[in-house]
Amino acid sequence: MEPLLTIDQVTRRFGGNVAVSGVSFSVMKGDITGLIGPNGAGKTTLFNCMTGYISLDAGTIIFEGRRINGKRPDQMCRLGMVRTWQRVKPLGKLSVLENVMIGAFVTTASPKVAGKASLEQLQAVGLDRYADQPAGTLPIGLKKKLELARVMATRPKMVLLDEICGGLNHAETESVLDIVRMLRKRGVTILFIEHDMKAVTSICDRIVVLSSGEKLAEGTPEEITSHPAVIEAYLGGGYHAQG
Amino acid sequence: MKKILIPISLLLLALFLPELVGRNPYFTGIMINVLMMASLASAWNIPGGYAGQFSFGHAAYFGAGAYTTLILLSGNPIDPLLALLAGVVTASLIALITGSIVFRLRGHYFALASIAVAEIVRLSVLNLQFTGGAQGILLSDLTFHGIDLNSKIPFYYGMLMILVLSMGTTAYIQSSRMGYYLQAIREDQDAAASLGINVALYKNRALLVSAALSSVTGSLYGLYIRFIDPGAVLDLRLSIEIILTAIIGGVGTIWGPVLGAILLVPLAELLRSNVIGDTLISMGIVSDVSPVGHFFKEGLAHAHVLVYGVITVVCILFMPQGVLGITRRRK
Ligand SMILES: Nc1ncnc2c1ncn2[C@@H]1O[C@H](COP(=O)(O)OP(=O)(O)O)[C@@H](O)[C@H]1O
Ligand SMILES: [Mg+2]
Repeated sequence: MEPLLTIDQVTRRFGGNVAVSGVSFSVMKGDITGLIGPNGAGKTTLFNCMTGYISLDAGTIIFEGRRINGKRPDQMCRLGMVRTWQRVKPLGKLSVLENVMIGAFVTTASPKVAGKASLEQLQAVGLDRYADQPAGTLPIGLKKKLELARVMATRPKMVLLDEICGGLNHAETESVLDIVRMLRKRGVTILFIEHDMKAVTSICDRIVVLSSGEKLAEGTPEEITSHPAVIEAYLGGGYHAQG
Repeated sequence: MKKILIPISLLLLALFLPELVGRNPYFTGIMINVLMMASLASAWNIPGGYAGQFSFGHAAYFGAGAYTTLILLSGNPIDPLLALLAGVVTASLIALITGSIVFRLRGHYFALASIAVAEIVRLSVLNLQFTGGAQGILLSDLTFHGIDLNSKIPFYYGMLMILVLSMGTTAYIQSSRMGYYLQAIREDQDAAASLGINVALYKNRALLVSAALSSVTGSLYGLYIRFIDPGAVLDLRLSIEIILTAIIGGVGTIWGPVLGAILLVPLAELLRSNVIGDTLISMGIVSDVSPVGHFFKEGLAHAHVLVYGVITVVCILFMPQGVLGITRRRK
């Protein structure tokens, strides 16, 4: 297998605070890779660097063999790397369908074609009933699904999911994870920030652990859940107790 | 069907309106102002209402059109249409320079920058030689393909054409990818960018279209009025009136700005011509020696922007989607 994305020695500071410090790892084509770590570990900052929302202080990001440092967010989307948002960003006054159409417009300029493709995406995530509703009025669980439908409509090669299950109950989490599995079946590579350890271990092929901006560990879910430093720093030993 | 029927009957009404008022110059003048403000508010609405980029300096584009056209025509026997196109070029340049600098920045810099740019334009015109300075520019004679330009009627139809152009452009944008993109930018720029929208590019496009339409409106106004000075065509007050017209009518819609102009321009005329004050005084409701009477007699004529402001506050509080929003909700 070949890496779709390689992060090499990426560093990003905010004033004196080093949010991401010399982090390196690769994401293999077709994999679901988990990116975990306690709050403030630098996960979202890393996503912001990868998708062109903030600049790097050092390091290189390579996507499909191409150096992508300095690209704008819209360019990253058109190259095939699309993200969702930890704090969801629905286009509130637009309808649910129109939200997805914005994504679909990457593939076509025709509203008709985009509308048809978007309805299919909404059916795929089970939101077609809400197609005409303003996106701002959806409850949080459905907003998260809308983020997924929007991203899928751009026909991405790789998606970056930032706590896509955050704030969801058990049933909602399961149904979101089903959508993520469906994405993988479609051949999309996934980088998955998640807090819910159970969700991560059940779905990921590999896991990267960040702590205080640095990479703490990397490996299969089994390796990670038994890694002493990870248990110490992130799980605080409580994970095994919870089962 | 209904969708086409209403605009067509309104257009027919607009076509025959001058005849319906017996070609009365006073009413024709007011109707030209309605069409002009409707067109300006429509143009403003493209970046303002759809993309959420509030320009507080649209007078600059209007004035650029009026000034370029009149400067070129005074003393030069060129085709007024060419002079009008030159105005579009000037306004587009101002828009491109403003947009390409300020749309890269995040936040509300555009609103501030638009005021600054409009003031720079106004002060330049005020202090330059070839623009006539504070005295303005007078166009003594004007001919256009044998049309009698001493009548207001040709300008009525000219303004109507420009309004149809502004509304048609808006309708076209609204129904195309660009319209969706502009609204996405208005709702959330970061989300818009993450979904493949080149935010700065689309803001620039919206502003450019808007500036060109405003400039054409300004050129025709200049030809119609034949005398312009910075106070008349480049003032911040005009920019504010344009915004208020769009907001009161309903931003982000094709018909909102038009409705705003139909409501506000006659109202301004009523205030300006003191009809309200005179009526109240002659009916004995207020006495013209009392402070209230004095205000109605002297103050109100100059207060139409204030009145617009009050209406806008009421609008924002009670009908955030404008007057058009209310009719929509009832349906
Ligand atoms: N825009 C910003 N300005 C200043 N500091 C920031 C900014 N974004 C993130 N940080 C800081 O960077 C660190 C990492 O934050 P973040 O990437 O959001 O962590 P995570 O997503 O892992 O919870 C935190 O200390 C946070 O306060
Ligand atoms: Mg985060």
